[in-house]
Amino acid sequence: MSVIFSVIKGNWKAQIGLGIVSLFLIMALAAPLLSPYEPQRRVGMPHQPPSSEHWLGTTRMGHDVFTQLVHGTRTSLAVGFGAGLIVAALGTLIGISAGYFGGKIDEVLTFFTNVVLVIPNLPLLLVLAAFIGQASPWVIMIIIGFTSWSWGARVIRAQTMALREREFVVASELIGEPKWRIMFVELLPNLISIVGINFIGSVIYAVLTEATIEFLGLGDPTSVSWGIQLYNAQNSAALYVGAWWEIMAPCLAIGLLGAGLALLNFAVDEMANPRLRTFQVSKKMKRLMLQPNRVKEVQA
Amino acid sequence: MVFFLRRLTFYLAAFLVAATFNFLLPRLMPGDPVSMMFAQAGSTLSPEAMDALRATFGFVEGPLFMQYLAYLKSVFTWDLGMSVFFYPQPVNEVLGRAALWTLFLVGTSTILSFAIGSLLGIFAAWHRGGRFDSFFSPLALVMQSIPAVVLSILALFVFGFWLGWFPIGRAYDLELDPAFTWAYISSVLYHAALPLGTLILVQVGGFLVTIRNNMINLLGEDYITMGRAKGLEDRSVMFRYGARNALLPSVTSLAMAFGFVIAGALITEVVFNYPGLGKILFDGINARDYPLIQGQLLLITLATLTANFIADLLYVVLDPRLRRS
Repeated sequence: MSVIFSVIKGNWKAQIGLGIVSLFLIMALAAPLLSPYEPQRRVGMPHQPPSSEHWLGTTRMGHDVFTQLVHGTRTSLAVGFGAGLIVAALGTLIGISAGYFGGKIDEVLTFFTNVVLVIPNLPLLLVLAAFIGQASPWVIMIIIGFTSWSWGARVIRAQTMALREREFVVASELIGEPKWRIMFVELLPNLISIVGINFIGSVIYAVLTEATIEFLGLGDPTSVSWGIQLYNAQNSAALYVGAWWEIMAPCLAIGLLGAGLALLNFAVDEMANPRLRTFQVSKKMKRLMLQPNRVKEVQA
Repeated sequence: MVFFLRRLTFYLAAFLVAATFNFLLPRLMPGDPVSMMFAQAGSTLSPEAMDALRATFGFVEGPLFMQYLAYLKSVFTWDLGMSVFFYPQPVNEVLGRAALWTLFLVGTSTILSFAIGSLLGIFAAWHRGGRFDSFFSPLALVMQSIPAVVLSILALFVFGFWLGWFPIGRAYDLELDPAFTWAYISSVLYHAALPLGTLILVQVGGFLVTIRNNMINLLGEDYITMGRAKGLEDRSVMFRYGARNALLPSVTSLAMAFGFVIAGALITEVVFNYPGLGKILFDGINARDYPLIQGQLLLITLATLTANFIADLLYVVLDPRLRRS
């Protein structure tokens, strides 16, 4: 734990990322306290610009945009983290199994993974969502979770195969540890950074994809989420009638949350791969090391 | 040769999975698949057209397996049925017309962002930890996580509505007839500026980060030090020793990203009202035009698989080790 704190302390990307994500978490938890209105109730005139009464204006239906935004944060975070968990769990399970067992199991799993990887994800999700009808955020979460694990599985398999022949794994096998224990107690802790990166990456992907599916009109228009806000704004031609606040608010929220999570991911990546960690001090050292002729200049 | 045959078999299998998905999904849903799929079609389509549509999607008398074969037959003869929304045009025709615009957007933006992203990434890796790297690499990663839908809407708002610099819809001026004239081409480019710019912004970050990280890992290798020790110029070590090898994984990611790029293009087209696949799809989804939605899955899968196959070929050209084995 103290290691994590010390890394966060010296890493501005981790700090900003964590700050943004915490902000959204607080917004989601405190949604009813932040706004006096109900998200789905007509509380003002249609298309009112931002004012002290309606911080981010109102929609064509007279809904309060700020209220919808904070309540939508709940949906987006829940869908994002839920789908991210499914993706990370499936990817890890399939990746470790393929990498550890090898042979026929690996062949079958890898083939399966590659097929899922190569079929474009969004068109597939659109077909699924179209047949389900008006997909609620939870349904969207599940279908994203079960169609997007292949990238993680592939990366984790490769890393498992690299670890598989190491002494500690061979030693555990010789002691006679059960296979599941080797996979999840011996191997998994060594993969934790990749699993973490995969998880955060999947959360970003899920948040964006949910918004995209709903924006395209395959979501349930009565639910409260950022994607539905965008869909309603697009449908009521918000930009064309000058109601920029209706469409800008969810847009910026999605962008900001995505940016925060991406910064967090960048920081985790740097923790795991010290070569990518580029501090000012080491830069000077590296340049000296990499450019022998410069050493002379410095010495002279 | 064996390598290519194996890849081809794999792509065929992947395509088959997508087709099977299309086949099974309506049959797995509760209720009668025929009435569900063609619910919107009842009033517009003639009885003969309905029968043809049923046959295309394998709703024939007989066991499931025979239905599957019937469906596969229409898929492999590229008979995607009639569009319900654009009746009486076949899905094939509707998608084909729109696909040209999407191909134009996707192709141009991918080539440009690959070139820009790779150059910037090489530069960032070379001066890693420097001012350019510390600012642009995190920025690229952040840009990558901002979805096409948000960037498109922002671009449309700022440059289309607020500043009014660019048109806010269509692919070219409607007063012009498509022809090989400067007026027409400039109009196409002018209308494509915003969607293209957005798609480049969406993609460029990914290429930058990939090649930067590859290159940083490579720059620690002995042969780079060797190149320097030989007294080669910075530039030839950077491009001939470092970048050439760092580009290899980018080619794979180029092909794998193809699906994402098309997805981005679909959204961008909806926002900019651009007459590509995305716009057609948006109309199709709102009308619950199932033949059209299923057809786009097959078309985009086929395009992605082709892109992957081309990447396989390119890889052999770029990596001499593969050629020998």
